[in-house]
Amino acid sequence: MNILKLFLLLTLSVNITFAKPYVEEKLLHKITQKYKTFAKKRFFYLQKSLDKAKKSSELEKLNIVNKFYNGVSYASDMKVYRKKDYWATPWEFLGKDRGDCEDYVISKYFALIYLGIDSKKLFFTYVRSTKFKAAHMVLTYFETPRSEPLILDNNNQKIFPASQRKDLTPIYNFNGESLYKASKRGSGKKVKSKKAHKKWDQLKLNMKRKKI
Amino acid sequence: MTLFRQIAIMLTLFLLIILGTVLVLNFNSANESVQDRLYEDAKNTASSLSLSLGSANGDISMMSTMINANFDSGTYSYISLVDVDDVTLYERVAESELVETPQWFVNLIKISAPIASANVSAGWSQVGILNVQSDVAYAYKQLYSILTNLLISFSIIAIVALLTLYSILSAILKPLQEVQHQAEAVSRNEFIIQNKIPYTKEFKDVVVGMNKMVSKVQAMFDKGNEELKHHKELEYVDANTGLKNRKYLIDKLPEYLKVDASSKGGINMMIAFSGVVEANEKIGHKDVDKLFQDIAAIFKKYSNKYERAIVSRMNGTEFSILLPNCTEDDGLTIANSIYEASSTNIKSVGLDKEQTFISLGLYEYNYTQNIGQLLSLSDNALTQAKFSDSNIHLDKSESATEVMGKDAWRKIINDALGSNSFKFVSWTAVDAKKKKVAHNALSLTLKASDGTEYFYGQFMAPANQAGLSSKIYQNVMHMMFTHPDKKLTSSTCSIRLSFEYLDLSETYDELSALFREYARALPFNLIIEMPDRLVRSNSKVVKLYKKLFETYNIETGVYEFIGESADYQYLRDLRPVYIKGESSYFLTQSDQSLSALRLITDTVGISLIATGVMELETLHKLQDKDIHIIQGRATEMITLL
Repeated sequence: MNILKLFLLLTLSVNITFAKPYVEEKLLHKITQKYKTFAKKRFFYLQKSLDKAKKSSELEKLNIVNKFYNGVSYASDMKVYRKKDYWATPWEFLGKDRGDCEDYVISKYFALIYLGIDSKKLFFTYVRSTKFKAAHMVLTYFETPRSEPLILDNNNQKIFPASQRKDLTPIYNFNGESLYKASKRGSGKKVKSKKAHKKWDQLKLNMKRKKI
Repeated sequence: MTLFRQIAIMLTLFLLIILGTVLVLNFNSANESVQDRLYEDAKNTASSLSLSLGSANGDISMMSTMINANFDSGTYSYISLVDVDDVTLYERVAESELVETPQWFVNLIKISAPIASANVSAGWSQVGILNVQSDVAYAYKQLYSILTNLLISFSIIAIVALLTLYSILSAILKPLQEVQHQAEAVSRNEFIIQNKIPYTKEFKDVVVGMNKMVSKVQAMFDKGNEELKHHKELEYVDANTGLKNRKYLIDKLPEYLKVDASSKGGINMMIAFSGVVEANEKIGHKDVDKLFQDIAAIFKKYSNKYERAIVSRMNGTEFSILLPNCTEDDGLTIANSIYEASSTNIKSVGLDKEQTFISLGLYEYNYTQNIGQLLSLSDNALTQAKFSDSNIHLDKSESATEVMGKDAWRKIINDALGSNSFKFVSWTAVDAKKKKVAHNALSLTLKASDGTEYFYGQFMAPANQAGLSSKIYQNVMHMMFTHPDKKLTSSTCSIRLSFEYLDLSETYDELSALFREYARALPFNLIIEMPDRLVRSNSKVVKLYKKLFETYNIETGVYEFIGESADYQYLRDLRPVYIKGESSYFLTQSDQSLSALRLITDTVGISLIATGVMELETLHKLQDKDIHIIQGRATEMITLL
C-alpha cells in the first residue's frame, strides 16, 4: 500500500516538475537572443507567477495574470511597431515590455487559457472609455454565459464586475475560439469557415509561427 | 506522317496542355477568390449586423426584424442567431435560384459558401452568435462569366500561338522540305544539286552528302553519254567522208520498212565507184579520198530536199542514198544530176572518166519489204547499172498485191472513224529473267461494217497513205480514256503514238483536254510511247508532253531507239521508264557501246526492251547482253510465273 502511495507521489511530482512551460525553452532562447537577458527574466517571472497560479481559483488566476501584465508599460502601436494598429503575440508584448490595450488583452487571454480557464468564458470586448473618451479594449470573464462579466483592464490594477465600471461603455464582445467552434446550424450543407475575425486570424497565425 | 506533322502535333498537344493547365489553374484561382469573396461579404454582414443587434438589448422581435431586413435586401442563403445555450433564436434560409447559369456548369463546379460568424452582445451581456452565409447564385454567375472569358482569351491565345508556332516550324523545317524534294528527285532519277546549303548542321550534312551522291551519278551519266557518243561516231560514221555507214543504214531501215511508216516507199540508190585502183595509182590515195569527200558532198546536196534521206557509205567504193517518198522520175533526175556532177569532179582532178566513173542503181522500194530484200534488190539494180551505157539503172519492186484499192480503204477507215469501230488488242512485253509480264502493249484492230476484222498492220499503211493515221490516233486515244477496258484494270499498258500524230499542232491541246477530264479515272497505269526520232530533239513540244504526262501520272516510253543522237541528255530530261529498240539493234551493238548505253540508262533508271524477238535463240543472245525484257513472238515461248 505504501509502495503504491510512493509511486503515485513520484508520478505526480514528475508531472509537476516536467509540466509544459508557458514559453517553451527553444522559444525562450530565441526571445533571449532578441530581447536580451531582461526579457528572459520577465518570462522567468511570468512562468513563476503562472506556476504559482496553477492551483489557485479562477478568480485568483485572473488577479495574478491581470496584475502581472499590468506591470508592463503602455505604449501605442505606432511607437512600438510603427503601425496604426497591431495585435502583438504575448512573446512580442513581454519581450518588448510595451504594448497597447489589445496587447494586454491578448497576453492575459493566452496566459489564462494556459492556466486552464475555458476559452468560452473569455471575451475580447471593444469598449469606449468615458474617462479618456477613447476606444479601448478589455478582457471580460464570464463565469457563466449569462453572468455579469469581470473586467480585466490595463488601466485598472483591480478586477471589477462590469456594473462597477461606469467609465466603460461596452460596444462589442468577441471570442475567436467560439466563432471557430460555432456549431453547424440548419441543414448539413452549411460550411463553417476557418476564419473568425481578421485581426484574430492574423494573431493566431503569428502565434503558430512563434512570432517574437 | 511527315516530320513537320509529327512535330506540329507534338507542339500543339504540348501547347494545349500548357494552356489547358493554365486555364484550369486560373479558373481554380478565380473559384477560390470568388469563394473568399463570398466569405468576406458574409463576414462583413455578420460583423455589422451583430453590432446592430446589440442595440436591440436582447429583444428577439427587434433582432428578427433586423435580420429579416438584411436577409431580404442582400444575397444570402442563410442567417441564424444562436443564443449562448446553442439554441437557435431566429433563422432565415433561402434556396438558391441558379437561373442565369447553365445546369451543366452547376453540376460540374461545386461552390461552397462558408458561414461567417460574429458574437452578438447587449451591453456587457452575451446574446449569442450570428451566422451568415452568402448565396452562391451570384458566385456561379461570376464564375461562369470568368470561365467564358477565360475560354475566349485562351482560344485567341491558342490560335495566335499555334499560328506563330507553325510559322516558326515552317521556317525551321524549310531546308528539310528542300532536302525532301531533292531526295524525291533522286528517287525519280532526277539529279538536282542543292545550292542552298541549310544552316542546321544535320540538314547541312544530308544536303552535302546528297549533293555529292548526285554529282557522282551525274558524272557517271556524263561519262556514259560521252562514251556512247564516241562509240556511235565510230560505229555509224565513215571517217573519211563523214557520211553514215552501212551499219547505220541497217539499224535505221526498220523505221522506213514498217506498216505505219510515214512514207510508203521511195528510191534507194546504190552508187559504186569504178576505177578506184587506177585512180589511186594516178593521183594517190590522198587525192582519191579528197575526191570521195567531194562526191559525198554532191550526194548530200542532191538528197537534201528529202527530209528523211539517208546517205551512207556501204564500203570502200559503194554508197547508198535512201530517198523516202521519192518518185521514179525524181529519182532518175537526181541520179543524172549526181552522175554529171561526179563526172565533172572526176575529170577536174585529172582522171579519165572512161576509166574512173560511178554507176547508180536505183531501186524503187516499198514499206512492205524487209531490209534484206531492199539491199539485195538495190544491189541488182546497181549491177544492171554497171553494165548500162548510161551507168544508171532503175528497178521497181513488185507492187504488193493490193486486195483493195485506196478508195476502198479510205471508205473503210472513214466508216470506222465515224462508227468508232476500233478495238484494242494487247501484246505482252515479258521480263524473261523474272518470268513476268512487264506490261501490255496495246495495238488496234478495225472492224469494218461487213464484219471483217483488220489488224493494225493491214489498215495502218493505207491509213498513212490516205492521211488518216492521226485521226485514228485521236479516235483511239479518246476511246481509251472515255471507255477504258475494264479487263486491264490495275495492269500497266503502253500505247505507241506516231511521230506524225504527236507532231501535229493540235495534238497537245487535245490530249490535255482529254487527260484533264478522264485521266484520273483511268483504271490502269498508262505508258505513252514516243518515237526516239521525236524525243531526241528534246524540243519544247517534247518537254510539254513530258510535263503533261507527269501531271496525270502517265509514264513515258521511247521506241525505235538506235542511239543515233549526238547527245543523250534528253534521256535524262525525259526519264522514260524504258526505251525500246529492235532486237537486231541490240545484238549488233559492240560491248563498249552497249555498256555505255547501260551506264546511261541504269543511272536514270531506264529499262531496255528489245522488240521483234521471234525466236528463243535471239532471246538468249539478248540475255547474254543483259537485256531481258522482250516483245515479239518469243514471249509466247516463255513460261510465266
